[in-house]
Amino acid sequence: MGDGLSKTKNRILKMLVDHQNEYLSGQKICDCLGCSRTAVWKHIKDLQKEGFKIDSVQKKGYRMTAPSHHLSEANILSSLKTKKLGHNLKFHETLPSTQKEAHHLAEDGAADGTLVVADEQSTGRGRLGREWHSPMGTGIWMSLIIRPDIALHQTPQLTLLTSVAVVKAIHDITGVECGIKWPNDILYNGKKIVGILTELQAEASHVKAIIIGIGMNVNADAADFPDELKKRAASIKSLTGREHDRPAIIQAILKHFELLYNTYLEEGFEIIKLLWESYALSLGKEIYARTVKGDTIKGLAKGIDDEGVLLLETRDGTVHHIYSADIEII
Amino acid sequence: MLKVQEIRELIKLIDDSTIDEFEYEVDGAKIAMKKGGTHTEIIQTPIQQPIQPALQPVQTAAPAVAPQPVSQEQSSGPEQKEATTDDSNLHKIESPMVGTFYSSPSPDADVFVKAGAKVDKDSVVCIVEAMKLFNEIEADVKGEIVEILAENGQLVEYGQPLFLVKAE
Repeated sequence: MGDGLSKTKNRILKMLVDHQNEYLSGQKICDCLGCSRTAVWKHIKDLQKEGFKIDSVQKKGYRMTAPSHHLSEANILSSLKTKKLGHNLKFHETLPSTQKEAHHLAEDGAADGTLVVADEQSTGRGRLGREWHSPMGTGIWMSLIIRPDIALHQTPQLTLLTSVAVVKAIHDITGVECGIKWPNDILYNGKKIVGILTELQAEASHVKAIIIGIGMNVNADAADFPDELKKRAASIKSLTGREHDRPAIIQAILKHFELLYNTYLEEGFEIIKLLWESYALSLGKEIYARTVKGDTIKGLAKGIDDEGVLLLETRDGTVHHIYSADIEII
Repeated sequence: MLKVQEIRELIKLIDDSTIDEFEYEVDGAKIAMKKGGTHTEIIQTPIQQPIQPALQPVQTAAPAVAPQPVSQEQSSGPEQKEATTDDSNLHKIESPMVGTFYSSPSPDADVFVKAGAKVDKDSVVCIVEAMKLFNEIEADVKGEIVEILAENGQLVEYGQPLFLVKAE
C-alpha cells in the first residue's frame, strides 16, 4: 500500500467530510496539506471512483454532497472517533479471512488496536472451522487486534464486552435494537445478525494478543442468503428496508468498544456485566444448553456470574455453570 | 425492591442518556448511578432495610441468596484418569483457564496430537474455549506426547494437566 499517497487522500477526504455541503477551493486544500493542485485533483478523482459524491465547480472548488456507504480505507479513517483503535488500518478489497490475516499480523508484532477489514472474504470462518458467508460489498468483516495487560482467565469477558459495543453501534447508526444471546451472538427476532469469534495468542499464562473477529450482515438482501442460512440469519437491511452506512457502523463499533474497554481495564467487569445483562435475551427464560459432547440441559437462565459464566438452574434447583454451549431459547 | 430487570432497564436508559448522575429510592432500597467522563460507575446500595414491607411481590424463584450447591460442571462428571505412570519427571501441559477442551480444530478434522507424537515448543496441542474465546494451547516444550489426560468436549479446570510430555 502506498501509504504516503493514500494518507494525503485520507486527509483530503477528512477536510471534505468536515466541511460537508460547503465548497473548498483546490488552493485551500493545497495550502493545508502542502501538496500540488494536480495531486489534489488526482485524489479527488480517486475518491469519486470509490463512490464518494464530490462536486467540482470551477472557481468554487470541491464539495462533498453525500457520504458514501462504500467501504474503503479512506472512508473508514475519515471520521474515526477513537484515540487508538483502528488507526492502524489494514484494508483489503478481498481476503481469504480477516481473522487469519490478523493472526499473522499479531504474530509479526502488529500494534495494539490494529484493525483488519475486508470488503469480501473468500474463506471466512466462524468458530470451530465453520464457514462464514461473507460476500463482496454487503457486510462488515473485520478483526481487531488488542493487547491487554490482563490475566488470561479474564479474557473471555472481552467476548461479552464486544457484543455490547456492537449492539450499541448498530443502534446508533441504524436504529435497530438487537439483543444478545449468551455469550455473544447478536440476534433480532431470533435471527443472527452478527457473529463474534475471539481468539487468543498466549505464551503459557501471559496474554500476547487477542484477536476479535466480527462478521455482520448489513446490506445483503434476504434473497442473497444461502438457503440453509435463511431461517437463522438476517441482514440489517432486511429489517429496515434500506441500505446502511458500513464505514459509520465500523467507526461506531470502535468508538463504543474503546470506551467500554477502557472502563473495563480501569474498573473491571462489573459495569460491562450490567450492560450486557441489559441486552441479554435469555435471562429469566427457559433455555436449552447443548454442550459440545451433545448433552442438552434444560433450565432457567438465572444470569451470569462475575466471570461471565452462564448460570443455568435445572428443576432440581441445581445451578450449573456453563462455560461453553449452544443456547436455544425455548 | 426493584426487580433485576427493572434495574437493567434503568442502567440502559441512563447509559444512553446525557444524565451524569442519578439517584432513586424506593421501598428502602437506593440506586445511585454516576457517569464520570468516559467511565460509568454504577453503585447499588441496599440501604439497610428494617423489616420487609408486608406486601411484597412474590419471588418466583427460590430465595435469592440461599446458599446453593453449585455444580462445577455440566453432566460429564469428573473423568480423572489416574496417571499411574511415574510422571514425576514428565512435563505437564496444564490448562491456563477453565473451559472446554477440544482435541481438534474442528469436529471433522484430525486431532492436533496423538500419544507418541513429537511436538515442538510452539506446536498447538489443543484448544481450550470459554464463552467463545478460543485459546490454542502450545506444547511449550520440545518432546514426545506420552499421555492425553482430557477428552474432546470435556470441561477442564484452571491448572488441570492436559498432556504429559517427555521432554527432550
